Amino acid sequence: MGTIFFELALTLYFAGFLLSIVGLLRKKSDLDRAVFLLTLAGFFLHTVYILVRYIKSGQAPVFSMHEATSFFAWSILAVSLLINLTYKARILSFGVILGFILMFISAFFPRSFPVVKPELKGFWIDIHALLAVFGIALFSIAFIFSILYLIQERAIKSKKFGGFDRILPSLEVLDKINYRLIYCGLPVYTAALIVGLIKYLSLLGFHFDPKQIWSFLTWAVYFLIFYLRVKGDWRKKKAAYLTIFGFLLVIFGFFGINLLTESFHKRL
Amino acid sequence: MSLIVVGLNHKTAPVEIREKLAFNTQNSIKEGLKKLIQTEGINEAVIFSTCNRVEVYVYSNQEYENIVANLKQFLSEFHNISVKDFEQYLYIYYDRDAVSHLFKVTSSLDSMIVGEPQITGQVKDSYEVALSERTTSLILNHLMNRALFTAKRVRNETKIGENPVSVSYAAVGLIKKVFDELSKKSILLVGAGEMAELAMRHLIGSGIKNVYVTNRTYERAEELAREFNGNAVAFENLKEQITKSDIVICSTGAPQYVITEQMIKEVMPLRKHRPLFFIDISVPRNIDPKCNDLDNVYLYNIDDLQDVVDSNILERKKEAEKALKIVEEETEKFFQWLNSLQSVPVIVSIRNKAEQVRQEELEKFKSRFKELPPEVLASVDYLTQSIINKIMHSPTVALKNNCDSKEILIFAARRLFGLDSEEE
Repeated sequence: MGTIFFELALTLYFAGFLLSIVGLLRKKSDLDRAVFLLTLAGFFLHTVYILVRYIKSGQAPVFSMHEATSFFAWSILAVSLLINLTYKARILSFGVILGFILMFISAFFPRSFPVVKPELKGFWIDIHALLAVFGIALFSIAFIFSILYLIQERAIKSKKFGGFDRILPSLEVLDKINYRLIYCGLPVYTAALIVGLIKYLSLLGFHFDPKQIWSFLTWAVYFLIFYLRVKGDWRKKKAAYLTIFGFLLVIFGFFGINLLTESFHKRL
Repeated sequence: MSLIVVGLNHKTAPVEIREKLAFNTQNSIKEGLKKLIQTEGINEAVIFSTCNRVEVYVYSNQEYENIVANLKQFLSEFHNISVKDFEQYLYIYYDRDAVSHLFKVTSSLDSMIVGEPQITGQVKDSYEVALSERTTSLILNHLMNRALFTAKRVRNETKIGENPVSVSYAAVGLIKKVFDELSKKSILLVGAGEMAELAMRHLIGSGIKNVYVTNRTYERAEELAREFNGNAVAFENLKEQITKSDIVICSTGAPQYVITEQMIKEVMPLRKHRPLFFIDISVPRNIDPKCNDLDNVYLYNIDDLQDVVDSNILERKKEAEKALKIVEEETEKFFQWLNSLQSVPVIVSIRNKAEQVRQEELEKFKSRFKELPPEVLASVDYLTQSIINKIMHSPTVALKNNCDSKEILIFAARRLFGLDSEEE
């Protein structure tokens, strides 16, 4: 099942994770290049792993906790690498840390192919699941940027420097990337929810399950952030707090609901 | 042989003395170098002169005392000032101390503002003048290159030059922590004043293009606006202009707050809460400190800026300790290299190498002609030994001889016999 690719990617991410921690503790950016190369290599192997599973099972590799968490990590790293290449913001380390933690968690879940009921196989269900995970990955990185924004803002406001503020980009850059992540994440997540809802209604009729309610709640929070931002009259600090709140909803929706109700959608 | 530096700097000598002994132009350095190199006992020389220091580095194969006296004499004659007028301000270092002094100077550890970067370039320039005048050779060339290398290491391996240590640069640094593209931001100067104008200049240098100036007297505002290539704004429009600005530098002589909390509270919604950065350089303060409590408003007064500078200076001092370790390491390396240029060890190594080759070849010979009687082998042994002795005789004599360019000869011998092949 190509598990070797998973193990190798996990190992490379782990190395990147360690170097990131060391770099952050030393508050220097001289290890960034090494972190980037390790992550890129790990990301390549991780991509191979996901493709192998996709081809072998014939369904999007997001239908077990192992697969979903691994794809969550993959999405986070994909976006972090992209940001690292397009902006001069040295924030890959934070993405690698979050990505590795998710990868590590996914390693504990059983790796067998999930058994999916035949009526749930198909292009649109795949799209729904992939978009949903990718959407929350974008929100998760927005969460990282919100935390960094608050750290940097606190340093400037309290006039105490010498911490992480040294390696962080300006407030303006942190805020701009944060905004773009929400701006991209919202349509992706909305599309996932709409596709999911249509499929759900056509399969089961009108019913609510906890996951669904939770997802719409999460969506509402991000829509609120988006709306307030577009309106413009909003203090960025509060937007940052709201983004952190949204992330807590995301994580609980991803792990909590799934584990408590023992399936993605209990009724399916 | 000895390395000597004679010099004075901002710590040891007042400016009246420093300016008398300074070599102000490249030409005067060139002339000085020409005179120096003709001085008895001086083989190589570099003159280094900035507004804070004058230093003469020489390499000589004579005793220290003569050379130092000659150097003092040279300074006295060249600058037309009697020795006893400046003698007390001089510092004189020999060999190891001279090397580590140069490394410290080049790495900006001896500067008035520790970590300021210009000094390395100045050392490089002085060295290039000496190179063009051909007053350096093997020893000082290597020394100067190692000094520049040490400075590079210090810069890369420590954070000595990282944080600004002047108030106006500190202000620019803070503004860059909030804003990204300075070219798209506007700045407003309220009032006038030396430090405010300096900060403005640094900010304009960092790319700010939209500059506005306001003043209680409109003519003064116009005057400054012309100077900064900006626009003058009437003082009555202060609030309106703050709404359109991102950075406000305030420096007026007003006895009360010119910019009040109430004013900013009204301004922020109008600018959709875009961040607003205030720098208040005036004493008494002109901006209500409560403004800093408002969201997206950042206010730094002169004491805040000074605190940032102070902590940066402290930081640099810590980094300077790390840098001193690097200087020590590099001094040690330089002396290892210098010691390799002594004649006896070189002769010994060449002989050892020759003997090693002889033994190896002898072994090969013996194993190929096993049937030869022992007395023949003994004669072969003797023959090879005497060949080596004959060949080695004249190089040995030459290396032992004391001549002016002895180090170059030794350096060449090391190359020719491949003694340093394991090094770079």
